[in-house]
Amino acid sequence: MLIPLVLVGAALFALGLIGFVTRRNLIIIFLCTELMFQGIVLNLAAFGRYPLSGSPTLDGQAFAIFLLAIAASEAALGLALVVLLYRYRGTLDANAYKVLKDS
Amino acid sequence: MLLLTLLVVVGGIGLYMAMPRGRTAPARGVLALLALAAGAMLVAILINLPSGIVTPARPTMVALSALALLAAVRVVTHSRPVYSALYFVLLVLANAGLLLLMQAEFLATGLVIIYAGAILVTYIFVIMLAQQTTGKAAYDTESREPLLGCFAGFLLLAVLAGGIYGAAVPGSLERSGTGGPLAAEAIDAQPDLAPTAALLSDVNRLSEPGPGHGTTERLGTHLLTSYFLAMELAGVLLLAAMVGAIAIARRQLSAMEPAA
Repeated sequence: MLIPLVLVGAALFALGLIGFVTRRNLIIIFLCTELMFQGIVLNLAAFGRYPLSGSPTLDGQAFAIFLLAIAASEAALGLALVVLLYRYRGTLDANAYKVLKDS
Repeated sequence: MLLLTLLVVVGGIGLYMAMPRGRTAPARGVLALLALAAGAMLVAILINLPSGIVTPARPTMVALSALALLAAVRVVTHSRPVYSALYFVLLVLANAGLLLLMQAEFLATGLVIIYAGAILVTYIFVIMLAQQTTGKAAYDTESREPLLGCFAGFLLLAVLAGGIYGAAVPGSLERSGTGGPLAAEAIDAQPDLAPTAALLSDVNRLSEPGPGHGTTERLGTHLLTSYFLAMELAGVLLLAAMVGAIAIARRQLSAMEPAA
């Protein structure tokens, strides 16, 4: 069961990466980082449940819970930044923010 | 290995075609055909993988995996942000099902509560706050460099999947020395074969599957003993993130208003 689950986790991560690179809506870009987190959660839990050596441990699930805390923090900060940028420019287009210089 | 390569190629082409691209509507028939082919190959690979014992849970796992990947593709390709967020909820539910199959009950419920309940509600609030225009915006219907993005992403997936598959199937990577032993170990380490006494003796271990043997209590003990300091640090991190989010979102724009 380990290998299929790890494969699915890798596929989720790759899909999230593609979305992160190609989408232009700032909110969807942040949603794609959450997609990558989902793949990682799956991987961590799978490696904890079906370890390569020894018996199953709870370390994978513990790591995944810390990852949930990180993801929640990232979502809160990222969305706060998105709201601020939207109030600043009035658009969610990532291309509108490609000039980083203060005008 | 051939099937895996084919799956990655077909998936890449399908995702590239499904990417939102301006006014030209994607050919739905070709897309459906590609999705069907990719799904069939995925199911074939997942069922035939020789990793460990084929348990009764294997069909459920394959179905949930296919659902999760379908939802993930729709998250990436849907041109309406609200639907992307809703497909993400579907992905979280499928993922929670996969975690349940791994006897990670607390993690599964936590995932549904935190992701589907809290984070996605925040996302949908922000989408409603920021998307005041009726109809689709141009930056939603047009993706940026879809060909290069899909190529890079699926190249990464091909490398990862090839490595994982090579570790699972001995001999599929001829010149790699890591194939055999790793696969043998992975098969050996199936918890169904491990002695029950060793599992139950340690608070660190999962209990033997069965009714009434949830892992929440063990996980809580594990978190508050082995990872005590990390738990406290996670609390500090969440507090800092909350304060930071409030500070960022409450900032007055009058001082930094653009000239326009």
